[in-house]
Amino acid sequence: MLAASAFFVFPLIAAFEFSLRVNQGKSHGFDNFRWVFQQEGFKTNLGVSFRLALLTAVAVLVLMVPTVVYLHLGGGRWKRMIEFICLVPLVVPVISFALGVGTAFPVFLQSTVYELSFLYVIVSLPYTYRALDVGLSSIPLLTLVEASRASGASMRQTLLFVIVPTIRSAVNGAVFLAIALSLGEFTLAVLLHWDTFPTWIANISQGHILNAIALSVLSLVGAWLVVVVMAIAPKSLRSNKTQEATS
Amino acid sequence: MAQRTGTPKKGAGPLAYLSRGSTLKSLIPLMPFLAFVAYFLVFPLTFIIRDAFLSNDGKFTLDNFAECFKGVYGHSFAVSIRLSFISAMIGAIAGAMIASAVVKTGTRSRRAIAATSSVFANTGGVPLAFMFLAGFGTEGLVTKALKAVGWNLYSGSFTLFSETGIILVYCFFQIPLMVLIFTPALENIKPEWREASDSLGGGRFSYFSRISVPLLFPAFLSTTLLLFANSFSAYATARAMTAGTLPLMPLLIGNLVDGNVLANQEHLGHAMAVCMIGVSAIVMGIYLLVLKFSKAKP
Repeated sequence: MLAASAFFVFPLIAAFEFSLRVNQGKSHGFDNFRWVFQQEGFKTNLGVSFRLALLTAVAVLVLMVPTVVYLHLGGGRWKRMIEFICLVPLVVPVISFALGVGTAFPVFLQSTVYELSFLYVIVSLPYTYRALDVGLSSIPLLTLVEASRASGASMRQTLLFVIVPTIRSAVNGAVFLAIALSLGEFTLAVLLHWDTFPTWIANISQGHILNAIALSVLSLVGAWLVVVVMAIAPKSLRSNKTQEATS
Repeated sequence: MAQRTGTPKKGAGPLAYLSRGSTLKSLIPLMPFLAFVAYFLVFPLTFIIRDAFLSNDGKFTLDNFAECFKGVYGHSFAVSIRLSFISAMIGAIAGAMIASAVVKTGTRSRRAIAATSSVFANTGGVPLAFMFLAGFGTEGLVTKALKAVGWNLYSGSFTLFSETGIILVYCFFQIPLMVLIFTPALENIKPEWREASDSLGGGRFSYFSRISVPLLFPAFLSTTLLLFANSFSAYATARAMTAGTLPLMPLLIGNLVDGNVLANQEHLGHAMAVCMIGVSAIVMGIYLLVLKFSKAKP
């Protein structure tokens, strides 16, 4: 266990030490980090990546939640088929997918960077489907829907005000997965010739190695902090209902 | 996680008003999803498959596939598959060992480790490459520290850009992925089984060989196959690590279509992409079979 954590921690520490080097390695300081923030591309590319992540998250919600809910209610006979479809993105290597998109899509779609969002929805399908499926399996969905319908709510109201709040943590899980994927995705972005945050890091790295290392440390530690804080936050901060449902 | 109430069984759903009517009618609510997948997934895939069978003047040909198995392209098949296999094996075994240590800890630390694993499993590309350069490169800190205690990493033929080096780097995301997926499987092993084995006179070894290994083998195998597919299709890390020194399939495809070589080789790139889909389809097919088999057992 110790040896294992050393394997993961040492490269991080080493990268951090490198990122602090200034004056050709003679002294240490935060200059490399400062340099990164001063770059024009830092803000714009981070902005693009965040907007892509947001759009991906919304698209995942709008597309997947009604679909998976329906599979759990009346469309059970199609569950196998949809499950299989959701596994296909795991089978297709992203690079093959990128090639196909590059040749198949019409120009009007390929002229906006937001095409990437729709592709990210596809790439994240296996994970988002599973998160929602697990969440819906752990609640008495049928009872909830019948109660809501009997009280006179429409199907849309039931979905928005009954089902979604009940499976909030599964929905959150799916959204976080989609966001993490869109923030870090490189292959599709670079092969379709778009500039996002990860491709910008790759560009910077040619010629500004220490700065790129600083950027790498920053992105990894930042992502790690966010996720760990969310994971071990006290119970009251997380949704209580799903706690009951999963325990 | 037990299902608490009757979610509808397959076939006719209990909510009659939702599934009334013909089979086709019950497909209607799925239409947005199906249309989305058809356009953004199936449509591009049909295009690369079509292009893989076309020659440069647009005629049907199998030459692209023949070319795939020759020379550097054929070699890249072997290298990619071998590298993915070894890194999947190392990742699976090391990950399983860590996971078995993790399940013995408390809920909170387990959650923290799961979160950490999910971040590390998703690292790749330039950040990962630089971390390893800083650690294990010729001027890296770990290299220097090991040299100080008398072990020169670079005394042999080792470099970070060789096959061994890439496997080392891939382990950084393979092991956490294994931990992430395998820990839930380990959590299903009940302590009562250990007690039952003990009270029947089973030793530590017989518990291991007769109970935990047979129980966990399907999960272990299926996750290993997932790891294989994961490193097989890794592109960002490979591209950041090797400046074309190691022939890996994703890199060659990237070069073929990115205009670094003669333009008329695009169809070869498509053929190789189809071959990659073929390889991982076989692997995922085995994965599905294993899952099915393990579910069929009570």
